[in-house]
Amino acid sequence: MPNILSLVETNRDFAAPGSKFVTLAGNPNSGKTSLFNALTGAYQHVGNYPGVTVERKEAKRHFRDLDLRVMDLPGTYSLATNSLEERVARDVLVTEHPDVTVSVVDSSNLERNLYLTVQLLELGLPVVVALNMVDVAKSRGTVVDTAKLSALLRSPVVTTVARRAKGVEDLLEAIRERSIFPAPSEFRVDYGPDIEREIERLDGLLAMADPGIEPMARRGLAIALLEGIASERTEDFGRGILDAAGDAVDRIERLHGDPMDILIAERRHGAAMGLARQTVTTSAERRRDLTDLIDRVLVNRVLGLPIFLGTMYAVFFFTFSVADAPMGWIESAFGRIGNLVGGIWPAGSDSLLRSLIVDGVIGGVGGVLVFLPNIVLLFLAISLLEDSGYMARAAFVMDRVMKSVGLHGKSFIPMLLGFGCSIPAIMATRTIESRRARLTTMLVIPLMSCSARLPIYALIIPAFFATQWRASVLWIMYLIGVALAMVSAWLLRKTLFAGGDLPFLMELPPYRLPTMRSVMQHMAERSWLYVRKAGTIILGISIVMWALATFPRLDPETAAAGEPTVADASAEAGNDLAARQLAHSLVGRIGHAMEPVIAPMGFDWRIGTALVGAFAAKEVFVAQLGIVYSVESPEDTGAAHLREQLQADYTPLVGFCIMLFALIASPCMATVAVIRRESGSWGWAAFQFFGLTVLAWIVTILVFQIGTLLNLGT
Amino acid sequence: MNEATLSASLEDYLEAIFHIVRKKHAARPKDISKFLEVGNSSVTGALRALKARKLVNYAPYDLVTLTPTGEELARDVVRRHESLREFFIKVLAAGNELADEAACKMEHAVPADLVDRFVRFVEFIEMCPHGGPGLLEGFRNHIEKGCRPTCFDECRFESSPPTSHGHPLGAGEIATMADLKPGQHATITRVQGEGPLRRRLMDLGIITGTPITMERSAPLGDPLEILVKGTHLSLRREEAKAVRVRIDV
Repeated sequence: MPNILSLVETNRDFAAPGSKFVTLAGNPNSGKTSLFNALTGAYQHVGNYPGVTVERKEAKRHFRDLDLRVMDLPGTYSLATNSLEERVARDVLVTEHPDVTVSVVDSSNLERNLYLTVQLLELGLPVVVALNMVDVAKSRGTVVDTAKLSALLRSPVVTTVARRAKGVEDLLEAIRERSIFPAPSEFRVDYGPDIEREIERLDGLLAMADPGIEPMARRGLAIALLEGIASERTEDFGRGILDAAGDAVDRIERLHGDPMDILIAERRHGAAMGLARQTVTTSAERRRDLTDLIDRVLVNRVLGLPIFLGTMYAVFFFTFSVADAPMGWIESAFGRIGNLVGGIWPAGSDSLLRSLIVDGVIGGVGGVLVFLPNIVLLFLAISLLEDSGYMARAAFVMDRVMKSVGLHGKSFIPMLLGFGCSIPAIMATRTIESRRARLTTMLVIPLMSCSARLPIYALIIPAFFATQWRASVLWIMYLIGVALAMVSAWLLRKTLFAGGDLPFLMELPPYRLPTMRSVMQHMAERSWLYVRKAGTIILGISIVMWALATFPRLDPETAAAGEPTVADASAEAGNDLAARQLAHSLVGRIGHAMEPVIAPMGFDWRIGTALVGAFAAKEVFVAQLGIVYSVESPEDTGAAHLREQLQADYTPLVGFCIMLFALIASPCMATVAVIRRESGSWGWAAFQFFGLTVLAWIVTILVFQIGTLLNLGT
Repeated sequence: MNEATLSASLEDYLEAIFHIVRKKHAARPKDISKFLEVGNSSVTGALRALKARKLVNYAPYDLVTLTPTGEELARDVVRRHESLREFFIKVLAAGNELADEAACKMEHAVPADLVDRFVRFVEFIEMCPHGGPGLLEGFRNHIEKGCRPTCFDECRFESSPPTSHGHPLGAGEIATMADLKPGQHATITRVQGEGPLRRRLMDLGIITGTPITMERSAPLGDPLEILVKGTHLSLRREEAKAVRVRIDV
């Protein structure tokens, strides 16, 4: 017992200084992350595990004479290597040798949570059990005998209420003691005579192969071999031991008629059940609790869908409408900063540096930060939904719909957010555990007509369609996007991401009141991640886009040669100059060069140029088209003028095709940057970019050619 | 089973093929003769007979596999064997070899219903270890009224039979989790399904002997919500079909 020893050894506190590595392991919804936050405070490092998108959270904590490095492992129900999270958790535990592992346990649901604790002990790791949420357990009339549990598990047990930072000092003290006396617990699950015999046999072989392994860890390794969990550890021991394990599994399965992993899991559950029965006393009758009552309404057969849709509307409204004003402020603030900085140069100067700083850098930073209100509010909403427990219900309600295209219920919310903006929508896919489902969702999100497409629709529709048709055409654009997204998702799931997926199986956690602290922390974490990771990429691309629109420059003489026809129309002359500059630039040249490719869609170089510019942000299409046509401020007063020009040059069919292409083709650079960041590879970003562009090209050509044949809107 | 007339020796062949296929994916006649310690010619004869009943896929000099019907029948034989063996070992404290030998002989003769009762008796003993004078009465109630074996006292004193009329499936019947109606209680009897699904089910506490309650289905009919070990879980119907249950109330 570490406690007794510690009395003897307190004087030797100084003998165990230095830094210790502590990991937190626990089920999802066990309050693990809250405990991590309570242990370490706000200064955390959030990164990814190499090669995967599972988050790796670490923070430092100084306690008495120890420097603790604390890591929050992904929430898992077991340490079998079924999912990415489980593999990551097991790898850290087995290969990084934490000095102490805290097993975070939901006291109100002891039996199921102890199933993981048992596995942690089996790895031969020094464990401290944190009996979390004792307040919830108590309110349900459940009391856990801590001393008895500690004696049975032969490990220290501490009670905590992480949400209120209670018991944190005790836990730190227990961690400290455990790290000084790191001998693994002697606790073992009794697997029954047949399996125990095989464990012993493998244990003997392992001891011969590597006499250095600690006995409890060796037993754990033998059990892992029987479970068929392959790790780099087991590979080291060579074929002999793997074959012996295979034979053992054959023998047991023949004897018992059940697969080995089931037999082992049953025994472990039996052990967890036994531990819970011996230590839990329930005084109150088990009654329907608040969660049951709330669920009767929220996932009710009749009310469930309307309530869900209402909630989604609220999230949507909150994320995009409330963000509108701050986004406007950010835009105008950057406009003003641009003017201010631009004012340093004499009026009318066409200094390159000025243009780079004002249009490239300041414009680029503004382009990054303008999404920030969206992202902050979105993650505020998502944190509230997740922490309260409604997120799982949302997936529960919508799964039937998403299943039909091979997606998960959790894909619905990100896709819905795609109507507002792809950036937060793609970031919201983080809640989807299955990587295949998550990638599929990310890849089709840009097909949802985001709010930046609206200015394009708003320019084109009134130019070509009679008043009574306008609403329908707009509606059709949105529907085409949704239909294409569904079809693409289905196709991706049939081909690239076929099969091999995790089951839907998901816990519906009890409803809880979210705490301010965790919601704020989550929000700050995500927003900062966006600025730091995606922001730098977006800034880089904006400067490249600036360069493309600026170089090569018209030389002054050529510029002057464009003679202003009317004396007082200097503004028009300026616009004309801008138009010729754009046509002369790389963007314009690309637009020209694209003409043969885009001609089958009915587009000319002007539209091509505007489309290239639209890569910076979809709504830039309107501005660029305005420049090409030398129209001042096409967004508002000039819009009517620009529409006249468009009417003169194009047919309604071409107008429709422009919208169609803008809807489907190449997502904006911010989307590309976020896909790169969230998928972990440029490959997926490129795949999406080219895939959607090719899809747009094919669809638009089909529509234009068939439309022309049928004489529709020509 | 319509092929209930299958002879004892043919059942043995089926069982042997099942074990070999499970290990090697397909059986050679040589494996079978080795397994059962019989001559090659008897194997060939038996395989022809099984093929005629459409229980195996077999052509001379080719590998032998079970047809779906054959596999189902084989599973049934194996289950009978294991159940009897378990009863002998756990209840009668027989040694492994004696139990195996007796099970081999009895598995062909004992009616399926009785075998089921052997199984449930072992389960009952394991879950209600208190024993005492009410033990056998409790077991009778457990069998006849479908009381949960976990609620031993309830079983002993409950007098009125559960009112499960009107439900397509009543207490004591074997079904899959997907067949349960909201509010119905059941005990898991077997977890099937493929690798990752089965593991995930197990990790969330869905294992043999665990009582569950069907809570509801989602507004659009799928997925389902069940209560197991104090946790609400949602899973799709197709996943729920992998879990066999016995309906309690």
